[in-house]
Amino acid sequence: MTQNKKLNFIVIDDSKLDCFIAEKIIRNTGKCEQIRSFLKAKDALEFISNSSHDDQSRTIILVDIQMPIMNGFEFVEAFEQLPESIVNNYTIYIISSSINEADLSKVHNYRSVKQFLNKPLTSNNLSVLVG
Amino acid sequence: MNKVDKIKILYIDDEQNNLNGFKATFRFDYTIYIAVNTSQAYEYLNANPDISVILCDQRMPDKTGVQFFEELRDRFPDPVRMLITGYTDIESVIDSVNRGHIFRYIKKPWTDNDIKSAIEEANKFYLTNSLLVAKNRELQSAYDELGKFAYSITHDVRGPLLSVLGALDLAKGISNKDELFDLLEMMAEAITKLDEYIKNTHEYYKLKRGLLQFAAIDFHSLLGDIAALFKIAGRNNNITFTSKVIQNESFYSDEISIKMILNNLLSNAFNYQRKNAGTKKVDVLIEVIENNLIITVSDNGIGIHEDHIRNIFEMFYRATSEETGSGLGLYNVKDALNKLDGTIEVTSEINEGTTFKVTIPGKKHDAK
Repeated sequence: MTQNKKLNFIVIDDSKLDCFIAEKIIRNTGKCEQIRSFLKAKDALEFISNSSHDDQSRTIILVDIQMPIMNGFEFVEAFEQLPESIVNNYTIYIISSSINEADLSKVHNYRSVKQFLNKPLTSNNLSVLVG
Repeated sequence: MNKVDKIKILYIDDEQNNLNGFKATFRFDYTIYIAVNTSQAYEYLNANPDISVILCDQRMPDKTGVQFFEELRDRFPDPVRMLITGYTDIESVIDSVNRGHIFRYIKKPWTDNDIKSAIEEANKFYLTNSLLVAKNRELQSAYDELGKFAYSITHDVRGPLLSVLGALDLAKGISNKDELFDLLEMMAEAITKLDEYIKNTHEYYKLKRGLLQFAAIDFHSLLGDIAALFKIAGRNNNITFTSKVIQNESFYSDEISIKMILNNLLSNAFNYQRKNAGTKKVDVLIEVIENNLIITVSDNGIGIHEDHIRNIFEMFYRATSEETGSGLGLYNVKDALNKLDGTIEVTSEINEGTTFKVTIPGKKHDAK
């Protein structure tokens, strides 16, 4: 990953406020090319599976854990089933209010998940992932 | 003593005379089933799961009483087992008592008082045991629910709090007034959600710990109070609300539970509307027919997908991302209905609407 290349972002959270906060903070970094928020993980999954990456740009996904219908872990599991040509273009961070040990340790089971981030998202902990 | 309260006893003996004599002696004190062999005994046990005491003669043609009780321990563990035997079989009896197959043995020839005191003791043992089993089950379920609550605290309580904290941090850097206003609006929503969760938790607790208070309910006035509140909500959101009560007889039940059920079903019907629908409707019909209360709440809202419908009464289950649910509302409804021996049916079609039908039997007033 080159440092000065701009990044794309996808935010998945059933809380409107959390999506808004994430969008705002990401934009404020000035390193963001494009950002999309989804209140439903299913919609995000559909968007991702139809995406084409001809410009080789990378996309960072921030996904919440506890959401109705499809939770964050279910999303990651479905995401990992997608073709490698798609999967390789994304880096997933799980972002949650959970302090539950089972949730935290579960994060390590997914190869596509880079790290667990605590809510609320701040420009500080975001700077870790945009470098 | 009332007939239904009589201790139920099964007596097995291969001599019909013994059976007849036993029944003749004790039929006024207990409800007695007599069987000449073990297969007949099994028929009685299958048909009467509330038999609390079983008496069996040790010497029978197909198997001994001890053998029969050994089988019974696995198939019908609850009834208390007592062996009737002559002195000659004492070795096998001691063995059996020690292995826990029988509660007590009665030596032949017995006197009426021997039998009576043994039965009373056995029944006490039976009642204590059943109480213990029921209490254990209650404790286990309370413990499971506590675990779910502890987990939900991190999401349903901590979630909105962290959202607001994040928003406050963000707000420091915003100078545009409109943008700030939007942010405040969203913060208010998050806090409302948290409040909703706390109110539902309180309702849950009230329901679990509270005693039911049965009294006559006038549904015209009950619905009138509730409907007035929802009418205002309906007007603000362009939802047509109709309510109707048909009650020509008195009905006894717990008013607080029924109010809670109505409130939950109605607020769901009002909340889960399609945002852009032309005509939004919520209808409630309350009927009292032959001491049964039937509440029907229907809407033409977003509907519930068939994959989720069987889960909607589970604790913390949410079937939609729309709106802010706590995942406790319908769980509380179901819990209240269990207490009132009521039932609930759901029919729903995505984008067509949902109908909940609740049926609650009335409490008999004199039987109180």
